[in-house]
Amino acid sequence: MIQDSVLVKPKAMSAGAARVGIGGPVGSGKTALLEQMIPRLIARGRNIAVVTNDLVTKEDAERVRRSGLIAPERVLAVETGACPHTAIREDPTLNIQAADDLEARFANLELVLIESGGDNLASTFSLDLVDFWMFVIDVAGGDDIPRKRGLGILQSDLLIINKTDLAPHVRVDLPRMVAEANEVRRGKPVMLTNCATGAGVDEVIDHLSSTVLFDR
Amino acid sequence: MTTETQALLAAFQHADSFFPGGATAFSWGLETLVSDGVIGDAASVEVYLRAQITHRWSTSDLPMLQAALLAREDETRLIELDHLLDAMSLAARQRIGSTRCGAALLSVHMRLGSAAATSYRGLVSRGDALGHLPIVQGLVWGEMGLSLPIASAISANSLCQSIVSAAIRLGIVSHIDSQLIIGRLRPVIATAIDGDVPAADQSHAYIPQSEIALMRHEIQDNRLFAN
Repeated sequence: MIQDSVLVKPKAMSAGAARVGIGGPVGSGKTALLEQMIPRLIARGRNIAVVTNDLVTKEDAERVRRSGLIAPERVLAVETGACPHTAIREDPTLNIQAADDLEARFANLELVLIESGGDNLASTFSLDLVDFWMFVIDVAGGDDIPRKRGLGILQSDLLIINKTDLAPHVRVDLPRMVAEANEVRRGKPVMLTNCATGAGVDEVIDHLSSTVLFDR
Repeated sequence: MTTETQALLAAFQHADSFFPGGATAFSWGLETLVSDGVIGDAASVEVYLRAQITHRWSTSDLPMLQAALLAREDETRLIELDHLLDAMSLAARQRIGSTRCGAALLSVHMRLGSAAATSYRGLVSRGDALGHLPIVQGLVWGEMGLSLPIASAISANSLCQSIVSAAIRLGIVSHIDSQLIIGRLRPVIATAIDGDVPAADQSHAYIPQSEIALMRHEIQDNRLFAN
């Protein structure tokens, strides 16, 4: 006799640290955003940890560990088997394991940042993996990116347009890019950053604090 | 709907590579052998997978899975099998890969409402059990009511999917060749399942090239897969 499974919502089973995904194309600045967010979150007294997903296993994890911004043992790398979108969407089990492991190891953890491997505009996060996810694009990728209406652009909880300082050098009309991003996202927030300098990152942290960490 | 039809549908669900169990991240030594140039085409992938099926899965995973399925209500025996399999797995990346995949499968089944998975995950969390994949497969598929041959076939199919899928992503076989390989290995798997399966305490594995590749994978910095 084959037993029927009972669907249990994962969030009801683990009300621990908030899990926030950071996705986006290769080179858009996901790791740079992490590096800017980590010291700001720590300065605000947040108890955080990081999971990285990289194409070549530990590149981003080592970069974050060696940054001196966070205790290295609070950074875990998850292998994606050359399939970054699978690891955050169809089969996020190894990322969930990593986040569970960090929560078990560090008491009172408030926030686990999960950085996806670089992917395409259609990548999305499993709702079983994260409570909130950001999608990072950059002006150098072209100002037509929002118009392409990829699922990452449309469905992320927060769209970040990074490398704003490069706009005049790559002939991008930034105001138009932002207007089109706002139009296709129908009211979902869009924020601008320059992760080389940290410009705009405090606003991202403020947004996370008010929408994700509000009750912690 | 008949019980047989339900069993068939359940087998499809749990044998599907879409079922989340973390397998995408594992190549079981293939990545290193491809990197070394030992494996580089469909023929060599088939030889590799045939060796995995014949000299490891049939003689180690299969008896352990079947023993676990039969002992699924006996936690002491499950823990014993778990530690026996661990002791008999030479390469650390084999052991770690097996327990990581086992933990992923336990976690998913726990969230799907499995009492057995919830209980066994507690044993793993406390360090009493290790949660090797064949033990977890026997436990959760046995709880679902799947038969020994069906559970065994799902396990073999999962291994085949995992390896040919890794080979496709590594760019050494085509989608057609991968299906031809799986098809040609079907009688090998069926013979193992329908034949004399070794007792758990007689289980063994001997795939030295793959085991050495798994050990070397541990110290490689640039890699796509977990093993």
